[in-house]
Amino acid sequence: MSQPRASQPRHRKSLWFRWRFHLSGLLLILPMVAMPFYFDDLAMSRGEKGLGERDLGQHQVGPWQIQLAEWDTNPPWRDGVASYMKTFSLSLCESCIPEVKAAYMRIGKPRNLRTAGAISFGTPYRQFISMPITESATADADIWLTLEGWDGSVHQISMPLADASPSAATFIQRRNH
Amino acid sequence: MPTSTSTKAITGKPRANRAKIWFLVHSWMAMPIWAFVFFICLTGTIATVSQEIVWLADPASRANPPAQAGNLLSFDEIVAVVNEGHPEAIIQSISRPVKSQFALTARISYPDTTTRTLYINPYTGVIQGESSRFDFRQFVRGLHGWLLMPWTNGYSWGWYLVSITAVPMLISLITGLVVYKRFWRGFLSPRLRFNVNARVLWGDFHRLAGIWSIPFIAIISITSIWFLLQGILQDNQVSFSTAGAPIYVDRADVPQLSSNSQTPPFISLDEATAAVETAFPDFQASFVSMPGNAYAHYRIGGRSVSYPLLFENVSVNPYNAKIEQTRRISDLSWLEIITGSMRPLHTGDFVGLSLKLVYFFFGILLTLMVFSGMMIWSKRTFRDTAAVLRERKIKQQPNKQMDSQIPTYALNEGESA
Repeated sequence: MSQPRASQPRHRKSLWFRWRFHLSGLLLILPMVAMPFYFDDLAMSRGEKGLGERDLGQHQVGPWQIQLAEWDTNPPWRDGVASYMKTFSLSLCESCIPEVKAAYMRIGKPRNLRTAGAISFGTPYRQFISMPITESATADADIWLTLEGWDGSVHQISMPLADASPSAATFIQRRNH
Repeated sequence: MPTSTSTKAITGKPRANRAKIWFLVHSWMAMPIWAFVFFICLTGTIATVSQEIVWLADPASRANPPAQAGNLLSFDEIVAVVNEGHPEAIIQSISRPVKSQFALTARISYPDTTTRTLYINPYTGVIQGESSRFDFRQFVRGLHGWLLMPWTNGYSWGWYLVSITAVPMLISLITGLVVYKRFWRGFLSPRLRFNVNARVLWGDFHRLAGIWSIPFIAIISITSIWFLLQGILQDNQVSFSTAGAPIYVDRADVPQLSSNSQTPPFISLDEATAAVETAFPDFQASFVSMPGNAYAHYRIGGRSVSYPLLFENVSVNPYNAKIEQTRRISDLSWLEIITGSMRPLHTGDFVGLSLKLVYFFFGILLTLMVFSGMMIWSKRTFRDTAAVLRERKIKQQPNKQMDSQIPTYALNEGESA
């Protein structure tokens, strides 16, 4: 600890001595590293990278054709105390825009239109459905997409949750264990 | 404080020594993180006028009135203008500055899944352009507020890193006022000595800028501490919102059409805003967002006339113009009003350009105070810290090795008191 006086000038000139109180400037590496991801996210949210991070392709739902995507491939996000959510995005074909009144999604087959699940928000070109991951959901469950027409007609498709969102299936698997 | 007795025993001047401790706390508060705090203050200062910078840089974002400026376009006229210029586009929301130098903006969605923001002249309806893909305003805010760090799971880490610096900032303000004896005299006899040396000039500047910035620094640091709390509360799912669950249009109100080719009978935006302005004569609608689906409402918002820090919004049934939810000042709890005021207080964006320029000026002062603090510190605090350490060492182990136990750079750091 106590050093001979002779060594002190060298100590005072050391890089550490001169720069230690400017080192917090190194925190600015964080925004520089984050910047490409920031612009990626921005492009994603402006729809410049497609409908969602993971495209789920075109689907025929009754008379209507839609495109579906998993919005992001992260595990379900926490929504308040209540539950976890998984967000999907979808777009309607040009000719179905005036015909489709609403889109709903849930895990497991709905008994009727009133239990069709979470409703989509957005424009016909890009709308989002944040689907609750219910307590009773299992990893091998199906998700059900219900489209309601302005004339009252209802059409549905289903697909395995594991195909629609592998991250959500993994999340449920871990939770149920 | 355990140290005060020891210093008292030596010097017999406890008050002076307590002041010295305060002074050291003040000096050490920001020094180890000064470069980071400097960056935050600088980007925050730029962020207060980022909208104005865009205004200067991009003529499309301005609202130049024509020679015979008539009335501002109504919302329906804006919709018509967009539908004519971009027939394939679907409008998501329109933001119309009530009286401003800025063009109104419409956020629209295209068939290729992209969304863009159009600048529209509020007098002529000319679509002047669209906001560039690089949104400077958003970028500076992101840089200042969360270092552009991602928000994938709750609040961004950057948000916490930035907002926690408000704690040393508030402590700096308090300790600064404690150690600056009779600081109010600085208002009456301001002193900036240019003719001595750099340390004296920086010191004079630091004190003078400091006393004139007392309210500003208090506002900035207290609001930022709220931002820190806000992150902690949200990440722990603590909410005191009185808004309740989102509401939907009753199924009975949503018409069922005999065939899918019929157009759903939505009321127009002007009808919806008229309904709101009839119900609330003091309400000035400045933004509207379209229903997100067949069971959603028109959301119509505007800056509160009675309390301009906050926006109010009203949800209007798009089929029958019924007002089904209001979130006006009178609907908010006191806690919501106070916490809701934190952000406008922090950004200074609730009066107009004049207040933004005031914030910009004090932002520059605060940025320079961080810098001047570092300059003063690096020249002086070494010496003062060493002096206090030396006094304690004398008391605790009065031996001849004292000198070698103190960092000699501090002892040697030349410059007389």
